[in-house]
Amino acid sequence: MNGSQHILAAFHRHNISTVFGYPGGCIMPLYDALVDDVGTEHVLCRHEQACALAADGYARASGQLGVCIATSGPGATNLITGVANAYMDSIPLLVITGQVPSGLIGTDAFQETDILGMTLGIVKHSYLVDDPEDLPGILEEAIDLAQAGRPGPVWIDIPKDILLSEIEAPAPARTEAPPADCPEIGPALAMLKSARRPLLYSGGGVSLAGAEDRFRTFAEVSGLPGVVTLKGIGNAGRNNPNDLGMLGMHGSRAANKAVDECDLLFVIGARLDDRATGKLDGFAPNARMIHIDADAAEINKLRPAELSLRGDLNAILAALTDAIAAEPLAIDAWQKQCRTWHTTGGFRAADNEEPLAPITGPAFIRQLSGITGDDTVIACDVGQHQMWVAQYYQFAHPRHHLTSGGLGTMGFGLPAAIGAQFSDRTRTVINVTGDGSFMMNAQELATIRRYNLPLKLIILDNQCLGMVRQQQELFYNNRESQIDLDDNPDFVAMARAFDIPALHIERTDQIRRGIETILAYNGPMLLHVAISREENVWPIVKAGASNKEMIDEPRKTNSRKEQVA
Amino acid sequence: MKPNHESASQRYTLNCRMNQEAAALERLCRVVRVRGFRISRMAMESTGDTLDIALTLEGSRPVAMLQSQLEKLHTVAGVELVSDTMARSRSA
Repeated sequence: MNGSQHILAAFHRHNISTVFGYPGGCIMPLYDALVDDVGTEHVLCRHEQACALAADGYARASGQLGVCIATSGPGATNLITGVANAYMDSIPLLVITGQVPSGLIGTDAFQETDILGMTLGIVKHSYLVDDPEDLPGILEEAIDLAQAGRPGPVWIDIPKDILLSEIEAPAPARTEAPPADCPEIGPALAMLKSARRPLLYSGGGVSLAGAEDRFRTFAEVSGLPGVVTLKGIGNAGRNNPNDLGMLGMHGSRAANKAVDECDLLFVIGARLDDRATGKLDGFAPNARMIHIDADAAEINKLRPAELSLRGDLNAILAALTDAIAAEPLAIDAWQKQCRTWHTTGGFRAADNEEPLAPITGPAFIRQLSGITGDDTVIACDVGQHQMWVAQYYQFAHPRHHLTSGGLGTMGFGLPAAIGAQFSDRTRTVINVTGDGSFMMNAQELATIRRYNLPLKLIILDNQCLGMVRQQQELFYNNRESQIDLDDNPDFVAMARAFDIPALHIERTDQIRRGIETILAYNGPMLLHVAISREENVWPIVKAGASNKEMIDEPRKTNSRKEQVA
Repeated sequence: MKPNHESASQRYTLNCRMNQEAAALERLCRVVRVRGFRISRMAMESTGDTLDIALTLEGSRPVAMLQSQLEKLHTVAGVELVSDTMARSRSA
């Protein structure tokens, strides 16, 4: 077998059935091998960035490894944003690029870039293969490494001559990693029992560890009030009365209040990101902290933990659940207080009952949440619509919410939705996007059409970069700078040009029918939703400020009697 | 945003053992820089498949944070903190 055939053999051994890529000069040997391959579905996107983001979306939705492929030079550099996106959110990705032939490396050859050097800061690990006989071992190691511990992207850069070389080395035998131990939970249990106001703080690490079910059981049995990060949305399911929702910059007042008042913060699979904590000096000022994370480097990184646990998260949660079931926590008063805060300080944008009124983002997302089923996957882009989804869509599972949390990549949503749809073609997948984000990877409409994916696209179009406009309004004396997109194309006509039917709505009484129409359509369909340019995301914490300095919608601040004290 | 537990600049000596690979030193130096430290002295010795690197560093962030980030690198076999002292003032 040559190098290219070894790559496909590794895919088969690891049950990698779908890859996202774009061919070009130095990766052509692999594409030649694909012609004779049975068992690998190659998805041709229309831009390498979309290949990486689609592989990311595939991995997020399925819990499996995502794979993307590109050629050297511009093919590889175009992958970078997507790979950085996966790195920031700990998504397991295998990235394979062609490189100029070994003898030409370092000669500034056509389409040569030092992609290994360029990407050191956005990969879990990377390889430049310089000996054909190393390739089988590198493939095995890379595939395992991307998924082990805290997942992340692993990049293999392979010179063209090595893709063509006959390789005698056999693929190394797979060695299963020993299961992680369950650490002693006694000290954590003692801290939980001694706390009067303990609070769960969970993030994306719960689903990355495959611990969603155990976490939910633990939350229910313990009765602990909980807040979630952007990536932890869905951890508690749709109906946990103790779930206070997202904390942080656009979190609920109830969630931020609970963090401020708690005396024990029980952090599970979260890295205390600045968008969640706000200014660290004012974050959870009265709380001791227990931190469970797969990555030792996250412990004490931003805030010292009194106790940290590493190990099998499922085992830890199971042991804690059993112990607390036998001897429940006495936190009734704290639960009651948190529920009161949730009632009065949850996300509460008012619905406009006037049927002819313009559509608002929160009202639309709330109706979308009510109409769609529990299994629906929502892939967001970045901006105001992303926060409205986080605030108002009730997710049943964290893997149903695909969002670019760490990097904040505009253009993520459409290719991520494509990836999610390939992970399960029967599932309803919706890309909720804004007019700015949509245009960043709009070429992928062609991919949807090519594979006839039944994706639903919803553009909340406010004719501007809404989140930037909002911050210019609030924090830059309303000096608007380069945010107008009022020369957007006709999105309905644009979709139709790709042979994707589309619908336009602009009034409140059209929301339900619009959503039901696209969901009922047997194939891809786009819903263009005109919303007000002036709508803001509330509440908001200014970047760098404490979460206690949360700003409410001005016109409601004085009259909101139920506001949390 | 910087961590809220920064202190005055200190000098540290770290010994790192790494596997030989294409970008070993670049990987190591990148992490040192990004995590807020400055290399003031560096010595490296290659033995077979292993690199031994002695780093003298200055920085005001907790060195334990840097140590744990270096230990995360797949090809780093070990990081040992040899010494730490207060760094001289740069203006002195």
